[in-house]
Amino acid sequence: MQKFLPSLVSAALAVALTGCLQSEQQNERVVIKKNPYPSTYKVLPLQTTLIKNATVLTGTGSRLDNADVLMVDGKINQIGTDLVAEGAVEIDANGKWITPGIIDVHSHLGVYPSPSVESHADGNEMTSPNTSEVWAEHSVWPQDPGFEAAREGGITTLQILPGSANLFGGRGVTLRNVPSHTMQGMKFPDAPYGLKMACGENPKRVYGSRKVLPSTRMGNMAGYRMAWADATEYKRAWEKYDADYDAGKNPLAPERDIELDTLKGVLDGDILIHNHCYKAEEMAMMIDLGKEFNYHSGTFHHAVEAYKIADMLAENGNCAAMWPDWWGFKMEAYDMVHENVAIVDAMKNSCAVVHSDSDSTIQRLNQEAGKVMYRANENGFEVTPELAITWITSNAAKSLGLADETGSLENGKKADVVIWNQNPFSVYAQAEQVFVDGAKVYDRFDEKYQAKSDFLLGQR
Amino acid sequence: MKHFKLFKSSLIALALASSTASYAESIAITNATVHTVTEQGVLENATVVFENGKVTAINPETISADTIIDAEGKILTPGLIGSMNQLGLVEVSAVSRSRDASDKKADITFDASLAFNPRSTVVSHSRKGGITSNVVSPRGGEDMFKGQTFVADLSGEFDSIRVNNNSVLIDLGAKSEGSRALSLQNLQFKLEDAVKAQEKKGTKNKKEAKEPSREEQVINALLAGDKALVAHADRATDLLALLKIKQQFGLDLVFVGAADAVLIADKIAQAKVTVVMNALDNLPTSFDTLHSSLKNAAKLTNAGVKVALSVSGDTHKLYELRFHAGNAIANGLSADDALAAVTANVAQAFNLDSGTIAVGKTADLVLWSADPFELSTQVSQMWINGEEYSTISRQDALRDRYTTSSDMPRSYVK
Repeated sequence: MQKFLPSLVSAALAVALTGCLQSEQQNERVVIKKNPYPSTYKVLPLQTTLIKNATVLTGTGSRLDNADVLMVDGKINQIGTDLVAEGAVEIDANGKWITPGIIDVHSHLGVYPSPSVESHADGNEMTSPNTSEVWAEHSVWPQDPGFEAAREGGITTLQILPGSANLFGGRGVTLRNVPSHTMQGMKFPDAPYGLKMACGENPKRVYGSRKVLPSTRMGNMAGYRMAWADATEYKRAWEKYDADYDAGKNPLAPERDIELDTLKGVLDGDILIHNHCYKAEEMAMMIDLGKEFNYHSGTFHHAVEAYKIADMLAENGNCAAMWPDWWGFKMEAYDMVHENVAIVDAMKNSCAVVHSDSDSTIQRLNQEAGKVMYRANENGFEVTPELAITWITSNAAKSLGLADETGSLENGKKADVVIWNQNPFSVYAQAEQVFVDGAKVYDRFDEKYQAKSDFLLGQR
Repeated sequence: MKHFKLFKSSLIALALASSTASYAESIAITNATVHTVTEQGVLENATVVFENGKVTAINPETISADTIIDAEGKILTPGLIGSMNQLGLVEVSAVSRSRDASDKKADITFDASLAFNPRSTVVSHSRKGGITSNVVSPRGGEDMFKGQTFVADLSGEFDSIRVNNNSVLIDLGAKSEGSRALSLQNLQFKLEDAVKAQEKKGTKNKKEAKEPSREEQVINALLAGDKALVAHADRATDLLALLKIKQQFGLDLVFVGAADAVLIADKIAQAKVTVVMNALDNLPTSFDTLHSSLKNAAKLTNAGVKVALSVSGDTHKLYELRFHAGNAIANGLSADDALAAVTANVAQAFNLDSGTIAVGKTADLVLWSADPFELSTQVSQMWINGEEYSTISRQDALRDRYTTSSDMPRSYVK
């Protein structure tokens, strides 16, 4: 990840580098901080841990039987057979299965927490069709008991997104699923931000009923295009400012716009698009919209009709994050097929993801992926557990821009690991132990590793 | 390698059109592992015979039937029974003109069965889960009484309503405006008034006695035990208040939700009140549900409470009922109790003539490829009222359209 220098240091550097060209006195350089609410997450107490004799799904498409996994200093150190590690805590996992920590790319935990009282409804700033200026991290209530429930289901990383009422809902944040009493204490260090966009029925319903744009799908498209045109101007203004400053001039910095900062972040390639979009024809247009304004259209969320454009998604490098079977709650979710994820996945260079968008199913993403696998195999596909696990691990990490750090069990990657009591794609499967960065954060049989939210403490 | 199956369009079109069995045929399923969900338990290598919509014999000495199906040891269960959803009343939840489950003016007499659409795509999709019948519950209106439930089978035929107005729905507990106390008080008053009116009627001569209003007739049916009172409530205080009302008036009571039931399980067991619950609810979504847990179905059952499982909240996912049962098993419920919770216990709570495999019972049967609750299992064959129905739905047609090679636009692939 890029490291961002404090503005004073970079200003001093700029002056030093361009000093000889300086023709006029330069004011301090204005630099927009890219990470003003940085992570304070610290790995929980950890020990070198050796898990023995398990069935391992690596998240890279492989399955290893009777394999050992060694975690040292928070990283995957070695995977193989008959491993020995002096001083390591050994776990006999004979008959058990090991997978990478499960990743949910679409959650509203913390921003729409339990209890879902009015005072907690902080997930969607439904006051304007473009609220790129809001950041979901500023709404996260870290005491949401849903984080604990998700951890019991093996979730180690999750992206918290704003809701979908707006064309631009604001920034999403990626969290480590570790208990903390601050958002920053959960924040995934240096993970890219996401920008939530929304197609279709929600924005046009919410704003159309208030007689403001958009009230139609063409209004949706107009709203995106106007915003990206503004963002393009804003980006140019900053680039001109930086170029002039570098040339020794003393330019006036563009007026700071928090909303456009986020859109500019997308155009700069720092922020990834996460686009709530159900329908084939809309996704096809969103891909073109990205090309029109020179950004990548990112991951389509829900994507109930992704199977209709599976080839297009693969060709354009789009991930699609989908449910196995949600349908019928609105018109744009009418054309569900149970094999959607498998059809998207079957394309070369595809990126199929299973997501939850639910405080309930986030606890069972393994079963959600399993449902797809079995339904697809009943209808001519040959999906294996080692493939299905990628939908909730490595492909999800790719969607979040974290494929180099987590989502698979490979030497040097974060030791985010789940030990399951059996094949995770069984309805009876349960996560027994969960590790984040090599530290145990959950143990089904040891209360010491069962965190409890402040909210539930002392209730009877 | 992954590959797509070749498309058999004509077969799917046929399956979508109608049931595959001819009427009034007698069928014998042999060599099945029959889960009767009665005191007979599980019968290995058993035979079940049915005709004219009813089970006519179990393990007869000689098998005579028009059709004999060798189950090859597979599991045969009663068809699963859904409940507390809006099946056939809602096609697309956000499309107002496809919704008939609620009406502002709906009261205790609301009979939503008049709006039931057996051709809804939700019906055929739900058959994928081995659901053969369903207790449909309207959402009602502003009144605390939400109307009355009705029972429909999932045949998709125009005569699929089995019973209408079979229980009375009431919503109690937390309110966004006002006090929960007023609802409980109103219920108490209405029952008291009805008892008084009946007593008065007994003392007057027939000429003076006024015909009770339609609303009063429903209350009288509750008092007579002809209809169950199905009460949605979660907090222990509400459940206790209802138990008291049940005792005072001799009501047939069913709880729905009942997140706090685990706190007073003994009392609920003693009062023989069935708890209809969502096995997957485990978050404290409100101050009324602080005790939700994946273990509650098991805890209640072990305390002697009859539990019925329901996919509450989303009718479109009704097919998942068996997976809810599987999750309840993973969290401590026995497999036998889980099966009862999606069959016999639902039938008992709502007085249905199905939910078990026994002579004389409705022939709603499902033959499973393996363990009915496991994700990898599918329905092999299913019968509703003794007739075989397919599990193929609109979703299968869409899948095949988009996984078939064609040099023409997809719209030509039918």
